[in-house]
Amino acid sequence: MTAEAKPMALPHTSEEEDPREHLMHDPLPREKMNNMVMEAMTTAPLEYKIVVGILALLVGVCLFGAWGYMTMTGIGLAGVRRPVFWGFFISTFVFWIGISHAGTFVSAILRVFKAEFRRPFTRAAELMTTFGLAAGAMYPLIHLGRVWVFYFMVPYPNQRGLWPNFRSPLVWDFIAITTYLLGSTMYLFMPLLPDLAMARDHSTGWRKFLYRILSLGWRGSETEWRHLRTAIKIFAWAIIPVMFSVHTIVSWDFAVSTTIGWHSTIFGPFFVAGAIFSGVSAVVMVLFIVRSSMVNMKYFIRPEHFDALGKLVLIFSMGWLYFYFNEYMVEWYGGDATSKEVWHYITQGPLSWLWLLMLVCNIAIPWLTLWNKKIRRTPWAMFIITFLVNVGMYIERYLLIPGELARNRIPFDWGDYAPRIEPIIAVGSISLFLLLYAIMSRVIPLIPVWEVQEGQMAHAMKRVGKAKVPVVTETE
Amino acid sequence: MSDKLTRREFLKIAAVGTATASVLTGCGTAARYVTRKPYQDMPEYTLPGRSTFYATTCRECPAACGLIVRTVEGRAVKVEGNPNHPVNHGRTCSRGQATLQGLYNPDRLDGPISQSGGSPASPMTWDAAVEIVKGALISGGFTFLLGQTPHHLTDLISEISTAFGAPPPLNYGALGMFEGRATLLQAATALFGLPILPQFDLANADVILSFGANFLETWQSPVAYTRDYATMRGGKSGQRGYLIQFEPRMSLTAANADEWIPVAPGTEGLVAQALGKLVAEQMGSPVPAAFASADVAAAAQASGVAETELRRLARVFANSPRKLALPGGGALGHTNGLEAAQAILFLNVLAGNVDQPGGMSFQPLAAYNQGAAAATAFTGMQELVGRMQRGELKALFIHGFNPVFELPKSLGFTEALANVPLVISFASFPDETVALADYVFPDHTPLESWGYQKIAVGSEQAALSGSQPVVVPLYDTKATADVLLAALQAAGDNSLIAKVPYTDEVDFLQKKLAPLASEDGFYTAVTPKGFWAKWLQFGGWWKTGPSTMPLFAVNDQPLAVGVPEFSGGGEFFLLPYPHPHLGDGSQANRPWLQETPDQTTTVMWGTWVAIHPETADRLGVTDDDVVRVASSTGEIEASVYRYPGIRLDAAAIPFGQGHTALGRFAEGRGANPLAVVDSKLNAAGDLAFGATKVTITPTGKKQKLARYESRVGVYGYDK
Amino acid sequence: MNETVHDENVGKWTMVIDLDQCTGCQACVTACSMENNVAFVGEADAAYGRGMHWIRVVREWNGEMPDLTADFRPVMCQQCGEAPCEPVCPVFASTKSVPEQINLQVYNRCIGTRYCGNNCPYIARTFNWFDYERPEPLNFQLNPDVTVRSRGVMEKCTFCVQRIRRGEEDANAEGRPVHDGDVTPACAQACPAQAITFGDITDPESRVAKLARSARAERFLEEVGTEPRVIYLKGNGKVVREG
Repeated sequence: MTAEAKPMALPHTSEEEDPREHLMHDPLPREKMNNMVMEAMTTAPLEYKIVVGILALLVGVCLFGAWGYMTMTGIGLAGVRRPVFWGFFISTFVFWIGISHAGTFVSAILRVFKAEFRRPFTRAAELMTTFGLAAGAMYPLIHLGRVWVFYFMVPYPNQRGLWPNFRSPLVWDFIAITTYLLGSTMYLFMPLLPDLAMARDHSTGWRKFLYRILSLGWRGSETEWRHLRTAIKIFAWAIIPVMFSVHTIVSWDFAVSTTIGWHSTIFGPFFVAGAIFSGVSAVVMVLFIVRSSMVNMKYFIRPEHFDALGKLVLIFSMGWLYFYFNEYMVEWYGGDATSKEVWHYITQGPLSWLWLLMLVCNIAIPWLTLWNKKIRRTPWAMFIITFLVNVGMYIERYLLIPGELARNRIPFDWGDYAPRIEPIIAVGSISLFLLLYAIMSRVIPLIPVWEVQEGQMAHAMKRVGKAKVPVVTETE
Repeated sequence: MSDKLTRREFLKIAAVGTATASVLTGCGTAARYVTRKPYQDMPEYTLPGRSTFYATTCRECPAACGLIVRTVEGRAVKVEGNPNHPVNHGRTCSRGQATLQGLYNPDRLDGPISQSGGSPASPMTWDAAVEIVKGALISGGFTFLLGQTPHHLTDLISEISTAFGAPPPLNYGALGMFEGRATLLQAATALFGLPILPQFDLANADVILSFGANFLETWQSPVAYTRDYATMRGGKSGQRGYLIQFEPRMSLTAANADEWIPVAPGTEGLVAQALGKLVAEQMGSPVPAAFASADVAAAAQASGVAETELRRLARVFANSPRKLALPGGGALGHTNGLEAAQAILFLNVLAGNVDQPGGMSFQPLAAYNQGAAAATAFTGMQELVGRMQRGELKALFIHGFNPVFELPKSLGFTEALANVPLVISFASFPDETVALADYVFPDHTPLESWGYQKIAVGSEQAALSGSQPVVVPLYDTKATADVLLAALQAAGDNSLIAKVPYTDEVDFLQKKLAPLASEDGFYTAVTPKGFWAKWLQFGGWWKTGPSTMPLFAVNDQPLAVGVPEFSGGGEFFLLPYPHPHLGDGSQANRPWLQETPDQTTTVMWGTWVAIHPETADRLGVTDDDVVRVASSTGEIEASVYRYPGIRLDAAAIPFGQGHTALGRFAEGRGANPLAVVDSKLNAAGDLAFGATKVTITPTGKKQKLARYESRVGVYGYDK
Repeated sequence: MNETVHDENVGKWTMVIDLDQCTGCQACVTACSMENNVAFVGEADAAYGRGMHWIRVVREWNGEMPDLTADFRPVMCQQCGEAPCEPVCPVFASTKSVPEQINLQVYNRCIGTRYCGNNCPYIARTFNWFDYERPEPLNFQLNPDVTVRSRGVMEKCTFCVQRIRRGEEDANAEGRPVHDGDVTPACAQACPAQAITFGDITDPESRVAKLARSARAERFLEEVGTEPRVIYLKGNGKVVREG
C-alpha cells in the first residue's frame, strides 16, 4: 500500500507524497462511506461468531467462574500474603486504568489540538476507555476480602451516620474512576449521535428500533449540530483534567503510603506518562485488529495513522523513561538502606529478568524501531511493537506493586509473592474487554463517519505556485 | 415445627438448648465432687457474662506451675498463671498457655475402648473396664509404667502396687531423659548422699556457667528459671548478671547468654573439671580431690576451647561474688554424664554457694515432696523390656507416658510390647502406645482432674500444688484413680482394702492432704473441710517463707571424667533435644503450639535438621533439602535448616514430632530423632542420648519448612 | 515537631518491653493467640507467610560463630499515634479509639482492601485469607469477649482492649479510678521473664511512665514518624568479661 502510494520514480518529488494516501485527501461520496461503515458493522462471519463464543466462555469461566469461586472460598486463593497484601490484581487494575487513558488522550487532547489524523479512530479509542475502565474497575472489587460489602465505600446516607473515609486514597480512587467512567461514557456517546442517526436511516428491524432510541431523534438540523459541537468542545476540554486526575489519583494509592519504593512525589506524572504510553500502544493494537478483521476498514485506517501513533509511542517512551530514571535516581541518591534492598530485589534479585524484560520492551524496542518511518507505517510491525510495550508496562506495574512490597524495613518479615489464581482472572478480564469490544463493533459504527466526512470537506489541495499543498479549512 | 418461629417459641427452644449444656458446679468452697447440673440451675457464684476462675496446676511438664483458669458459663476459655503460686508467680510458658487445646482437642478419646488381641477398637462400658482392671490386678504379674502422671496418682499406684506385692511403678519420660534427671539424682546422691534435685538461685547469681542447661526452654522448671534469669539480668546481685553457656548448639538459652562456648559434645564434664581446677587455683584455695585429676590442656584439646579461654573463664567465675554452675541435660546425656554432673555440681561446692543467695540449695525432705523428682534410669526401662521379652509380665498399665514414641527405637520396646498379654493404657489421646494397647481407659485431661503435684525445683518455698477440675469432663472419661480404686473394691479382698482404704480419688486426696493442715503453711484451717476449701481456692499449699535444707555432708572424692564415647561411625554428632514447644511430644497435637514459631529457627509444624551453613555447603545441600540422618540403629529423613549457631561437626534435631498417631495435628509430621539414637548408657545407667554419631546424606528431595522468618531477609539471597 | 499538631497524641495505654529481659521464648505469642481467638492456619499457609500471629518475635542474628549472638524483639501493633493504617482505610475500619489512644480494627466494617497492611511499617497486620477451621470442640475455648473474625478481614493486636474495658468497668463499679496494674494484656500476663509492662503513661507514677523515662527507652522505626505506643528498652549489649 505504501509502495503504490509513493511515486518513487521521481527524485525531485521524492519528499512529496501522494496526497491521496491521506484519508482526508481521499474522499469518497458520502453515501458510499455510510454504506461502507454499515457493512462493516453488519458483517459477522463465522470466525467472528466463534471468537465471540470463545471470549464469552472465557469470561464466564475465567472471570466470573474463578471470581465466584474465590468469593465463596476466600481471597487466599490468590497468591497474596503478608507483607505483600497487593499483587497481580492491583497491577492489572493499574494496567487497565492506564489503557483507558488512550481514548481520552486520542479523542480529547488530539481533538482540542486539532490533530487531524485522529478523525477515523477517535471512537475506537473512546471505546477502549470505556471498556478498559469497565475491566479495570472490576479489580478493586475482585481483590476485596469481602466484596459483598463493597458498598461501604459508597457515600450513601445511613442511619448510623457512617461515611467513607475521605482521607483514604481508595475513596478518591473510587470517586475518580466513577467520574471518569461516567464522563468518558458520555463523551463516547455524544459524537456518536449523528452516526447513530445515520445507522438508523440505513437499517431495518431491531437495529432500526435500537438506533431510533439511541439517536435521541437526531435530525441533523443546524441547531442540533451547533449544540453538539459546543457540547463536544466543552466535554473535550473538561475530560482532560479528569483523565490526568484519574491516573494521578491511582498513583496516590501508592505515593501517599509509607511503603518504601512507593513513597515518592513523582508518581503522579510518572503514572500519567506510563498510562498514555501503554494506552496509545493499546490503540495501535486495537486499530490493527479492527483494520485486519473488519471489512472496509483499510480505507479508514491507514498507515499514516500508525505512523502518527508510532511517533506518539516513541515520545511517551522517552517521557516514561525520564520519570523512571528520575525515580531511580532520587531513591539511589537518598541512600536509604531499605530503598537499596527494594531496588536490589527488583534489579538484581529474583525478579531481575522481569526488570530487564521491561527495559527491553519499554525502551530498547520502541527506540530502535519507531524512529523508522517504514516500520511505523507497517501495521503488523506496529502491532508487535505495541504489544511488547504493553507487556513491558504490565511488568512495570507488577514490579511496582508486589515487587516493592516484598521488601520492607524489617528483613525478618520480607516475603516473596507468586500469583496463584490471579492470571486466570486476568485472562478473564482481557476476554471481557475483547468481548465487549467485539460486540460493540457490530452494534455501533466504529468509525465516526461524520467526523471523517467533516474532515474531508475541510481538506483540499491548493495550488501555491507550482506546488500543490494541502490546506484545511476551519469548520468548527 | 413450623418454619416460622415466634419469639416465644424461639425463647423456648433456646431454653431447651441451654438446658442440655451444663455448667460445672461443686467446685465451690466446700464441695467435694463435680456434678452436672442444668444450665439454669447455676451455682450462685456463677454470673452469666462474668467469668469464674479456678486455681489448678499445669501438667504439661513436670515443673508444676500454678494456673488460674478462666471459665465462662461452663467452658474454660483462658489459662493464666497463678500469681500466688511459688513456682511461676503468675506466669506461664507457651505450653501452659495451650493447655486448653488439649482439653478441647478434637482427637480426644471419648470413652473406654476395647481392642484386645488386635481386634478393631470398640467402645465398652466403665463397669466392664473396672472388671478387666480387677482381673489384671488379682492375677498379679503386672507393672505400672508412668510418665507425666500426676503425683497423687503415682502415690496411689505405689500403694496399690505395694498392696498387691507388685514391683513399684516405673517413672520415665522424654523430658526427664533429656535433662538427665536420673543421672543428676545419682550425682547428688554420690556427692551429698541425697537423691534429690538441687535447685539453683539464678536470680541472685552474678556469673552462671551453664553446661547445656536449657533452662529458658524445657530444663526442669523453665518458667521459674526464666523469671530468675530476667531478675539476674536486672542486676539483683548488684550488677547485670553474666551467663556463659557451654553447648555445641546455640539453644535459646545460649542465644541469650553473654557468651556461648560451642564445646565439643560430651566434653562439658572435662571443661567443668578443668575449670574447677583453674578456679580453685585462682581463688587460692586447695584444689578439691574432685578436680585434682583434671588435665587442663587435654580438656582444652578435647573441647576445642583454647586454654587461655578456659583460664579467662575461670578468672571470670572465680572473681565473681556470686557464682553458679548448672548441670544441664546436654552435658549429662553422654557416656561420661555422671562424672560430668558431679564435676559441675562440685563447682558449686567449690564456689561455696550452697544454701547461699545465688547458689545451689535443696528442698527439705518431707512427705509432701517425696519422690517429686522420681525418675527411673534407662536401665530400668531395659530391665522392663527384658521382662516383657521373656514373657514375665502378665499385664502392663501405662499412664502419662507414650513409650512407643518417647523411648529410642533401639530399645525395642514396641516389639517387646507384643509379648505382654494385657496392655492397658490410660491415655487421653490416641497416641502410638494406645494403638498397641489391648484396652484404653482414658483418664480425664488435667483440667478435668483432681490431684496434686509435688514440686521438685523452682520454688523458694516448699509447696504442694493442687489440681481441681475447671470444667465438667467433656467425654465419658474416668479418673484413673477411681478406676483403680473401684477395681480394688470390686476385688472384695478386705485385707487389700485395708491397705488402700480410700473410697475414691477425692477421699484419697483429702486423706493425703490432712497432715498438711498442721504444717505451717501460709494458711491454716480448723476443719478438714476448711482446709480443703482453701486448698482449692489457692490451688495448693505452700510455706510462707523460703525453705531449704542444709547439706550434711559433701563427699569430695577423686573424679575421673572420661573422654566421651560415641556409637556409630558417622561423621556428625547427633544432638537430639526436646522441642521447646512440643516438650515430650505429647503436645504435638496442640495446633497453636505447632504454629508457634520455634524460638531460634522460627520453624512451625515440622522437624528440621540444623546443620551449619558451611557443613551444608560441604554436603551439597541447602535449606529445605531433605537429608537422611542415619546411625547404626536407624534412619530418619528431615529438611535441612542452615543454622548459623551449631558446630560444624554436629547436627541437631528437635524431639517432639514424627508422630504416627496422636490425632490430625500431630500425625505424619516431621521425624523422631530417637529412631536413630543408640541405647548407650552412662555410669548412672541413664541414656547417653548424645552419644550417637550419624551420617547425613542428601536424598535429592525437597520439602519446604514452614518458617516464620524470611529466609532471604535473614540469611541473604542464595548464591 | 509542631507542638499543637501533636497535642492530641499524648498517648494513654502504653506498653514497655525490656529487650534485656526478653528471652524470645514465644510465650507471648501463644498467650495472645489463646486470648484473642487467633486462628491457626496449618502448615501450608503458615509456610506461605499467612500465619495469623498478632505478635511475633523478630530474631536478629549478629556476628558469626562462635561470636554469634541473637537479639529478640517481640513486635506487635505499635498502636501508633500517627498510624499509617488509619488514613488509608476507605471505610474507617482501621480507626483510632480516642479514649484509649489505641488503634482499633473494626472487623464488621472491614471490607478487606488490605491497604492498611501494606502501609504498616511494622508488618503488624494479618489478614484472614480463608475461614480457618477450628474443629469442634476447639471452638469451646473461644473467648466470648473477643470477636471471632471471618474471612476477608484484617486483624491485629488490640492491646487486649477487652481487658482494658473490663478493667475500666470494674474500677467504675467500685467507684475508683483505674489503678496501675489493673489492666494486663495477655502477652504481658504470660511473659515468664516479666519483660512486658503495660499501663497508662499519662499517670507519671505508673510503672510504664517510669520505664519510659529510662535512658534505654526507644521506639521501633522511630524515623517513620508514627509515634508508636510501644516503647522498647534497649538491651544492654553484650560486654565480654575479662575476669
